[in-house]
Amino acid sequence: MNIEICEALRIDERGEIDWTQLIEVSGLPEPELRELVDDGALAPVDMTAPRWSFDAQALVIARTAGRLRRELDLDAHALAVVLRFVGRIEELETELRALRAGVARR
Amino acid sequence: MKYKDYYAILGVDRGASADDIKKAYRRLARKYHPDVSKEPNAEEKFKEMAEAYETLKDPEKRAAYDQLGRYTPGQDFRPPPGWEQQFAGAHGAFEDIDLADLFAGIMGRQGAGGRSGRAFTSGRDYEAAVRLTFDQAFHGTEIELELAVLEFDEKGEARRVPRRIKVRIPKGVSDGEQLRIPGKGGKAPEGGRDGDLYLDIAVEPHPLYRVSGRDIYIDLPLAPWEAVLGTQVHLPTPAGAVSLKVPPGTRAGQQLRLTGRGLARPNAPAGNLYAIVQIVVPSVVDERERALYKQLAETSTFNPRAQFERETAHEH
Repeated sequence: MNIEICEALRIDERGEIDWTQLIEVSGLPEPELRELVDDGALAPVDMTAPRWSFDAQALVIARTAGRLRRELDLDAHALAVVLRFVGRIEELETELRALRAGVARR
Repeated sequence: MKYKDYYAILGVDRGASADDIKKAYRRLARKYHPDVSKEPNAEEKFKEMAEAYETLKDPEKRAAYDQLGRYTPGQDFRPPPGWEQQFAGAHGAFEDIDLADLFAGIMGRQGAGGRSGRAFTSGRDYEAAVRLTFDQAFHGTEIELELAVLEFDEKGEARRVPRRIKVRIPKGVSDGEQLRIPGKGGKAPEGGRDGDLYLDIAVEPHPLYRVSGRDIYIDLPLAPWEAVLGTQVHLPTPAGAVSLKVPPGTRAGQQLRLTGRGLARPNAPAGNLYAIVQIVVPSVVDERERALYKQLAETSTFNPRAQFERETAHEH
């Protein structure tokens, strides 16, 4: 049996993504995603551009947003706050990992 | 198709109001959400609850669920005659799908603004957890995945199809990273966009290396005389051992950098590898060694605690 071989892409390899793609991956209605932009949870590369584009990391944020929205049944504002907390936890985890990695174990 | 009792999963009775269902779900979500829960099987339980809530919170889906009838959880069943016609978008080959697939096909009133028809305009995204060894993550690897994805036949009927794929994982992935395989999720009906497959990467810890961002850290134990006099050591790195020059007077905690020996990253130079110096002493010394240490102690003018004296001098 022939097994298909696929390439797994790193999300930061993907470059920029546009607004339509972001709506699609998040599964959120457009007005809710727009509120996340207004609340600063998602930042377009250029806020004043006629067509927004986002760096690839926004893909991860948008998917997390969609998942949290569905799982926790949050409204758009609560979602923006939770995303900020999740982001903060990730920053702290990265910092903790750096501290643990950079100090000799014994 | 196996029956699941969504009401029992949420711990509410069949006549519960929408508000009661919401409250029950929120209470359980707080307890079992995998991001916060320490309960055993939290993730599995949460998935079950989320699936139940997804259906019961939507009036149309709830009505469709109620009209399936009541069965014992786990019992094989088929929807009653006429059920598929009543709930647009819900038809499928019932043997090959599960209850969640069935309801995902119904356009909920909340989700679709009252529009009836099929919810699947694009294929569903899937996620799979992948566990890699440190070496696999560093060098890249090929893994095999077995999935059961939702597809549609020419009549537009949904069914679960087993799929085996080989996936090339690029080098330099790290723990917690997400990879994307475009178009390898569920197939879309009628020319829509196929879903994507996302891989959640977990990397097993390595006994020698620790990772932070793109950089790798390794402890480098040195004997006191090696640190003082300098030496050349054989240092393991994930890309192969190297000979590392340790300069004289190297201190404990000092980080010796090997540029480009960290994790690879796309469109940028690789991270670095840092050897963190540790000064280690033998726990047992023989007579001759002891004599040499004593001789050194008597000869040396080095004061390792000079700072103590400077900082406390004014107290006397």
